[in-house]
Amino acid sequence: MKAFTLKNPTSLAQAIEILGARTQGAARGSHGKLQVLAGGQDLLTEMKEHLVEPEVLVNLKGIGGLDAIQFDAQGALSIGALATLTSLEEHEGVRSKLPMLAEAARSIASPQIRSVGTVGGNLCQRPRCWYYRNEHAKCLKKGGSECFSYSGLNKYNAILGGGPSYIVHPSDLAPALVALEARATLRGPAGEREVPLERFFTLPTEGSVLRENVLAEDEILVRVTVPAPAAGMRGTYLKFKERGSFDFALASVAVGVAIEGGKISKARLVLGGVAPIPWRAPEAEAALVGQAMGDTAWKAAGEAAVRGAEPLAHNAYKVPLAKGLVFRALQSLSRA
Amino acid sequence: MSRTSKTGDPNPSPLSRRNFLKGAGGVATGGVIAQGLLAGTLGEEGAAAGDVEELSGEVEIALEINGEPRKVKVEPRTTLLGALRDRLEPPLTGAKLVCDRGQCGACTVHVDGRPAYACMLLAVDLRGRKIRTIEGLGSPAALAPLQASFWKHDASMCGFCTPGFVMAIQACLEKNPRAGLAEIRAGCAGNACRCGTQPQIFAAALEAATQLSKGGK
Amino acid sequence: MAERKPPSAAAWPPRAELTVLNHDLPRVDGPAKVSGRARYTHDVRLPGMLYARVLCCPLPCAEVTLDLAPARKIPGVEGVIELMTGKTGYLGQPVAAVAARTPEQAEDGLRAIVLTLVPKPWAVDHAQATAEGAPKAGRNGNVSKENVAGDAKDAEAAIAGADAVVEATYTLPVQHHACLETHGVVVDYRGGDQATVYCSTQGTFTVLDDAPGELGLKSSQVTAIVDHMGGGFGSKFGIGIEGKAACMLSKQLGKPVHLMFDRADEFVTAGNRSGSRQTLRAGASRDGKLLGFVGDVTKLGGTGGGSFPGGRPYIYSFEKSCVRVRSVYTHTDSARAMRAPGHPQASFAMESLVDELAAKLAIDPLEFRKRNLKDPVYRRHLDAVAREIGWPDHPNKTAPAALADGIGVGIGFAVSTWGGGGGDGCEVDVRIDRDGSVVASVGTQDLGTGVRTYVAAIVAEEFGLPLDAVVARIGDSRLASATPSGGSTTTASLAPSVKNGAAKLRGMFAERLAKTMGVDEARLRFAGGRVADEQDAKKSLSWQQACAVLGQEGLSARGTHQSDLAANGIHGAQAAKVRVDTLTGRIEVLKMVCMQDCGLPLNRMAIRSQIQGGMVQALSYGLLEERVIDPQSGWALNANLEDYKIAHPLEIPEMVALVDDEDARGVIGLAEATVIPGHGAIANAVFNACGARIRDLPMTPDKVLAALGKVG
Repeated sequence: MKAFTLKNPTSLAQAIEILGARTQGAARGSHGKLQVLAGGQDLLTEMKEHLVEPEVLVNLKGIGGLDAIQFDAQGALSIGALATLTSLEEHEGVRSKLPMLAEAARSIASPQIRSVGTVGGNLCQRPRCWYYRNEHAKCLKKGGSECFSYSGLNKYNAILGGGPSYIVHPSDLAPALVALEARATLRGPAGEREVPLERFFTLPTEGSVLRENVLAEDEILVRVTVPAPAAGMRGTYLKFKERGSFDFALASVAVGVAIEGGKISKARLVLGGVAPIPWRAPEAEAALVGQAMGDTAWKAAGEAAVRGAEPLAHNAYKVPLAKGLVFRALQSLSRA
Repeated sequence: MSRTSKTGDPNPSPLSRRNFLKGAGGVATGGVIAQGLLAGTLGEEGAAAGDVEELSGEVEIALEINGEPRKVKVEPRTTLLGALRDRLEPPLTGAKLVCDRGQCGACTVHVDGRPAYACMLLAVDLRGRKIRTIEGLGSPAALAPLQASFWKHDASMCGFCTPGFVMAIQACLEKNPRAGLAEIRAGCAGNACRCGTQPQIFAAALEAATQLSKGGK
Repeated sequence: MAERKPPSAAAWPPRAELTVLNHDLPRVDGPAKVSGRARYTHDVRLPGMLYARVLCCPLPCAEVTLDLAPARKIPGVEGVIELMTGKTGYLGQPVAAVAARTPEQAEDGLRAIVLTLVPKPWAVDHAQATAEGAPKAGRNGNVSKENVAGDAKDAEAAIAGADAVVEATYTLPVQHHACLETHGVVVDYRGGDQATVYCSTQGTFTVLDDAPGELGLKSSQVTAIVDHMGGGFGSKFGIGIEGKAACMLSKQLGKPVHLMFDRADEFVTAGNRSGSRQTLRAGASRDGKLLGFVGDVTKLGGTGGGSFPGGRPYIYSFEKSCVRVRSVYTHTDSARAMRAPGHPQASFAMESLVDELAAKLAIDPLEFRKRNLKDPVYRRHLDAVAREIGWPDHPNKTAPAALADGIGVGIGFAVSTWGGGGGDGCEVDVRIDRDGSVVASVGTQDLGTGVRTYVAAIVAEEFGLPLDAVVARIGDSRLASATPSGGSTTTASLAPSVKNGAAKLRGMFAERLAKTMGVDEARLRFAGGRVADEQDAKKSLSWQQACAVLGQEGLSARGTHQSDLAANGIHGAQAAKVRVDTLTGRIEVLKMVCMQDCGLPLNRMAIRSQIQGGMVQALSYGLLEERVIDPQSGWALNANLEDYKIAHPLEIPEMVALVDDEDARGVIGLAEATVIPGHGAIANAVFNACGARIRDLPMTPDKVLAALGKVG
């Protein structure tokens, strides 16, 4: 790691002031001179690999109030960006009311990373693509002119929504939270703004290819809110890892369904690990609604979820894999 | 060297949040609880802008390691693992540097009772936290029950991963002394062993769990 | 003193009489290891010690120039040295080294070196290396001369007469040792005529081959210390380029230098198991007899040749065979020995081939194997593992399982062979002192097999003492000499020397005690912590009392190798049970079983640990591991423990390790054998579960789905 100055603000106002006063023109997303430190479980690896060499780290951990997890009277959940993944995974209310979210949290990395890593950090983490993570690869994501994965060893890259960059979004919370219709609250100099989490994430063709979300230079993700689930909604998060113990998703599925009178009345389905953003699959949702839970509906949902997939040379397997996961996830809901 | 702390002292001042919490008796075992408490006390707009602690160059900090206050000179970039192994006098070398990227678990320590990779924490960020290393768990002459169980079941071969596994499983069992095999496996899923001692590790952990749940230490 | 016959050669007691050996012995250094107090080379801290790092070339082949001056200006940096310039030979070749006061400063220094690279054409894989006009990675081109064994015509004729023929190509990736303690040394040379080198090595005395020369000292002036070492698996002999760099820096600076590879260095420049590509053709008769075999084998060993057990088909007996073996060279670091070099590669292809033939003939694959294995030991082992894994009641023996809900369960088998014998070269000093202490000293090293424990145990057994009454001192070149640990030869080399020394010493001690006690020497028994006349219980001394007869000089003897205490040549069989989800391609290994012979088991618990460890490594190799180098850019893409995946706890199935107690021979090393057959057994189990025959390791879900015809 290159040496840096650590700043420890104790309020959001201080943190945002530091972010706003940053050296002009420096981008936080790539080789920025200033980086925001939360749990650090991604940022420190990027710094150790010299993918970023910030001169200043703005440490959010001294700021109070950013780690709360609470339900309001209406049953909506608010998760502070600094809440650790462990605290989310272990939260009784989350486990009982939003098991999909607890499952997603539990599927992340390892106990050691979950007890330090934060919800905000998980949503804002950078890609794991092994070209991106290679210091010597000046790829699109780092201001270069080429996505090496496109013609390279792309087994782990995107089959949906790719181009010109083919990263997959590595977050497990993101698909679950998008499926749960969560909203993100961003805090900047002008105050707070709220965006649906689905629109927080951006494709490489939207905004800057250097980043994966709409967070501005001087903004901080402060909280995520999840509306009370619709009546009868049940959901699950199923993550497929090449190494079951400790790995990012080859593909994952967050799916929720409500069943009325033996038929699916509402469905939300989001894939992870297959696209540069959590990949909402409205066609799959439509394929489920009005159907009875069973093989036919689950297969149809799988087919619809990957419709339009454009695999690269080495990742065509993700198409049947995603279909299989959709089937297994829905099957597990029918058993629950 | 070029220390540029605006507040002068890199260690918590009497008014800093951590000392405040200590004064209020608020430092609980979990960082989550402590920080949650903070929300209600200071408020997010509490401190004035400009009064921000700034650390660079080599600074001396105080850490609480295995129940003892220890002073150590570090840079902001020094990881907890680097502080323990390379900067503390005398050093604590039980936590091993293997991957240096939070991928293998050999440097597992406890921070406020939770397992963490020491290579993925900044030492300066741990002021006011309770750090426990393998050396704080037991000694060769007085092994902790889990360590004794590891020994009995031959759960270490080359032994380089062993301290990390012990600490990961200890954290798992402290959370749930009745942990079964599935929970134990998940509890050490972030730890790598190249010799392949995992079957013996599971056996050792299960036996320790049985003892713990029966009320043994 | 009157001339007398030397004490009769030692012999292992009958197994029923053993009280320490052949039991479960918690290892004597266990408390140090489980408490984090065991000191590894990585943990050595000396006053004024500098931290050093090496700079590795990030391209497979390049013209390198270095500007070291900027590094010398970095605060804390005390030494910067060039290791090479000019054209590099392989990806990751170390080109420079830096020593500084802190690890952070060493990194700053390393990054301040201006490394100018002019890329040169390279070949990093089989396709690139064998393409027309490929850049040369080997001295004499990229393909070595062929080694041919057997007559191709005869073999082809035998295949032509077969009822079933299988031809297939099996490929295995380059695997990394991934020792958790990286390669490295701490060199303590502060001038003068003495130096100490702490080294993470498989051979304490191999340090003395290189270090003295680098330091300008004689080997008698250098002490090598290997207190504990964090895994070697064949990759750690000598001090290596990293050791040489540390010696140069320590000599230049007059300070101790700590130089351990970082993880990325370890992946690219610390050796590997050679990759393998095997096109095999074989035929069998309708009644399940193997007839002809033609094998075409390529080893991918980087700049080295790689390993393969040549000469004949692996273990199985064919009437006629022909095997051709060659090496293909690439611009990657040389393969090194890795646990049973060549055998896991050969085993996977052969076991898959045999299984394919059995399936084609619809013969029970267990029976098919037994018919074609000459050595009856294999049949016994196969039957044992088959029983343990549930084969007799398994529903689908000759065809893949009928899938229920897209999920199949299958069982597979494979066998292994290894030498494991020993030889001369280990000497052991065994000593008793008048206060009752017993010490066995030898400079050997412990890779994690439990050497300290069995050294102490053999001596304890000899004197009828409990294990903890004996101290084993190892890992120091000032102690008696020992051979390096390679090829599972340590046990069969060292244990006989310990036994020989202990037996000599017992003879000497008995002679002394016989006089004191007034008993015939031949009637003295050492048992239960006492020395007694076997015919007169009243004539008995406690161990303390017995030792008190000794003078201040104590009593000691030096043991040397006694070949009749060891043997050579072992067998093993493994079975694996898996569950495959054909919708996702997920393979879950449910259970693995191994039966292994090893002559006299010295420490049963350590042996089970070795067996299970071998199965874990085979599982990891079979399902996860593969070195990835991008052929276009030349970058190492998975030189870290996230992308280079080794099995973690959730991958580990139920494991059963069975020791073959019918083997009455002397001691034999078994560690290597246990890593050979596991991945082949898993591959066969996958086929048995769902019909997916995977011929290319690792068996990742993409390959399962492809083998099932699901990838469009």
